Amino acid sequence: MKKFPPIYSCAVILIALAAGACASAPPVPEASLQAARQAITTAEGVDAGHSAPGELAEARSKLAEADAAVKAGRMASAEQLALQSRASAELAAAKTASIKALAVNAETKASNAALIQELNRNTGERK
Amino acid sequence: MNKSHSGRARFTLVAAAVATILAGCAGMPKAPPGSEAVRSKLTTLKSQPQLAAQVPVDLEQAEKAVVLAETPQRDAQVAAHRVYLADRLVDTARVTAETRLAEQQRAELKRQGDDARLAARTNEADAAQLAASAARSDAASSRVEADSARADANVARTEADTARMTTEAARVAADSAAVAAAAAATAKAQQQELEHQIALLQAKTTERGIVLTLGDVLFASGSDQLKPGAAGHLDRLVGFMGTYADRVATIEGHTDSVGEEGYNQGLSQRRADAVKAYLAGRGIAPTRLTSIGKGETYPIAGNESAGGRQQNRRVEVVIGNDVKSVAQLR
Repeated sequence: MKKFPPIYSCAVILIALAAGACASAPPVPEASLQAARQAITTAEGVDAGHSAPGELAEARSKLAEADAAVKAGRMASAEQLALQSRASAELAAAKTASIKALAVNAETKASNAALIQELNRNTGERK
Repeated sequence: MNKSHSGRARFTLVAAAVATILAGCAGMPKAPPGSEAVRSKLTTLKSQPQLAAQVPVDLEQAEKAVVLAETPQRDAQVAAHRVYLADRLVDTARVTAETRLAEQQRAELKRQGDDARLAARTNEADAAQLAASAARSDAASSRVEADSARADANVARTEADTARMTTEAARVAADSAAVAAAAAATAKAQQQELEHQIALLQAKTTERGIVLTLGDVLFASGSDQLKPGAAGHLDRLVGFMGTYADRVATIEGHTDSVGEEGYNQGLSQRRADAVKAYLAGRGIAPTRLTSIGKGETYPIAGNESAGGRQQNRRVEVVIGNDVKSVAQLR
């Protein structure tokens, strides 16, 4: 019964745990990949492909690289690429919003000018 | 023995000092490539107070990212990654700031448009204001009635409590007061909406009803065909008639006294018919529209001057002041 003193059992367990930790691959950065996909979908939803095609294309290619890195087991790279993809997609969406806002302002300005012109003409006729 | 010991100690000291200096040189911190450009972008954005004020939080995040990107980093890939993220954040902060600034400026542009419209139509606005103040006093008096009804209900409730009668009667009174108050509020809102719509229509409120006078804008001289530009003027009317679906309109054609009376009579009728046909084509039920040619018989100015004749050549659309029909919209 006294073949294995408790100290040996402890050592065996510790070694097993250490080996297990080494053997398991680092986890897939699922949250970052998901966030990048979400950001791309959002950008596509506001038609960023039209207003910021460069940024959106870069977001897509970074995501593709991230997926490839996951397959190759390079999880740290995958995480970085996913974060870069998301940042690009968010820039694409923000840029699109800015372009749209400026276009609306230009339109309002033009319609104001037309309105003032038309009203001046109308009041002129009445006199 | 003693001498050699102190000599070795001195040598050790010197060596340590040299090593420390060398180590210092070797580890001299150096900002990763590209980080300087990002820093300068961020500095430029921050130096534009109009933009910077729009995105304080974004700027704070961008600042953190740039500081991280500037931190010396042995791993070139990590360094490039941090520079990339910082660059994207700074760009995003800039375009977001531009968007917000544009949205702020848009409110000002809208105000300018409204001001222009208002300034050009002072007379109409004055007339509308008179009508509005009359309507407001109506609304106010109905509010007073509602208030007094509510007060009556309170009295009734108090009496009921004091006399320990059944609360049923008091509750009925309170309910009717609430209904009256709600009705007054609805009537006021509807009146305000109507005033707004009349202002949009650029019409005048008169004893005959709401009168929209369309001058030379609809027809070319002698023609009964609507000008291409007429649609813009008539579509406002279509919108109004669409909103107030119970109202009826009389379309009156008027001419100046140039030419034969019989011809002018016919022309004014055909023009009124053309306006009616247009409105009917835009979905206003023909049964709500009446077209009358009044010829040259109702001038609003002298026919001696060109200006007077121009004023007399017109189409007037009279929209019935049917208050009952507004009440039915509830």
